[in-house]
Amino acid sequence: MSGTVAQRIDEIASEFAELDPRERLELLLEFAEKLPPLPARYQAERDAGLNRVHECQTPVFLWTEIEDGQVRIYADVAPEAPTVKGFVSVLVELFSGSGPEEVLATEPDLVNRFGLVEALGMVRMRGLHAIAHHIRQKIAKSRNVR
Amino acid sequence: MAKEYAHPEVLVTTAWVDEHRQDPAVRIVESDEDVLLYSQGHVSGAVRIDWHIDLQDQVVRDYIDKTRFAELCATKGIANDTTVVFYGDKNNWWACYAFWVFKLYGHAECRIMNGGRTRWEADGRPWSRDPEPSYARTNYLASDPDHSIRAFQAEVIKHQQKGKPLVDVRSPGEFTGELLHMADYPQEGALRGGHIPGAVSVPWSRSVGEDGTFKSPKELEGIYAREAGLKRRTPVIAYCRIGERSSHTWFVLHYLLGYPKVKNYDGSWTEWGNTVGVPIEKGPGRKVEQPEPARSSS
Repeated sequence: MSGTVAQRIDEIASEFAELDPRERLELLLEFAEKLPPLPARYQAERDAGLNRVHECQTPVFLWTEIEDGQVRIYADVAPEAPTVKGFVSVLVELFSGSGPEEVLATEPDLVNRFGLVEALGMVRMRGLHAIAHHIRQKIAKSRNVR
Repeated sequence: MAKEYAHPEVLVTTAWVDEHRQDPAVRIVESDEDVLLYSQGHVSGAVRIDWHIDLQDQVVRDYIDKTRFAELCATKGIANDTTVVFYGDKNNWWACYAFWVFKLYGHAECRIMNGGRTRWEADGRPWSRDPEPSYARTNYLASDPDHSIRAFQAEVIKHQQKGKPLVDVRSPGEFTGELLHMADYPQEGALRGGHIPGAVSVPWSRSVGEDGTFKSPKELEGIYAREAGLKRRTPVIAYCRIGERSSHTWFVLHYLLGYPKVKNYDGSWTEWGNTVGVPIEKGPGRKVEQPEPARSSS
């Protein structure tokens, strides 16, 4: 991972932009497949149903934390929901390892940058917006605690 | 007591589909809620038709028109005499929706692969990751929409006023009015909660067993005829939130139980619960006892 969050957004956005809508789905699937597995230390919490994102259609569990001044996102998404999994993976790649201020300075509707509306359709976008919003809120909250 | 489904020919097994993957008279169609599942693995030879992107108009709230439906079939290599077999995720929820749209435009031979993706997986059959195959273009002629299976709001209002049966297939919380949307589906909410007055609650997934296949004729009759009191000869209108879960119940009532007059009200709760001045009832109504299993609402 290199560059600023804004640069990474531009890079990934242009990667999506070069593809037609069907190919964008393939790229999203590639992201889904490289989402790192949930670290063992969080698995008991997940099994207890904690940290579920309730705005989401399918079981999505997210841990958004700030460790040594860097945002860390850990996630578990059901394999039968690859769309959500792919998007979470994009956010992990964009945000993990950056400072909270830098992440919060990104555009709130960055979901719209990846041309996914054409590939997924309007009704599927709301769930993705909800995830991005959820992560931003968690970061804002953790930052205030410190 | 029914021993057999009314139209058993509409259901095919995963084994049948496996044998007919190369059959030129058959086209297998995957329709899912999650549009990436096809890329993650599909039945080899199947094409993908998305309920939202392919079957709905992206501007007006409606289905694609007859001309675009014909074009869709032509590009997917579906001819008027092709047997189209639908399957998908979530107990064939979206497969039944696609099946209904195909019936709306008069496609003759439609089938559902009983059990959908769940059963294909459980049977240990292989998933293909090949790109979507392309088939030779056809000259498809679509019929005018068959409104004997589709109800619009004006008709539903009259139907309700006359006290005719309505079946609400949403979850119990949506039916009573506790929830403004299905648990976890906030994007399809309404301004008012509750149900169409007089509707009976039968959550759609009650028609499906653990393995994703439909329950037996006897069990289905017990649920819809005895518990819910739906009479075979009376016209029935099914609705949900946007008309997809109710297309599944439409399929069950018409094809599996043989109810002759069943319509799907696709405007459903997102239309009714947002319409000014229509009557709404809250609370349990004539609620059927057993709750919707949690697994089906994920």
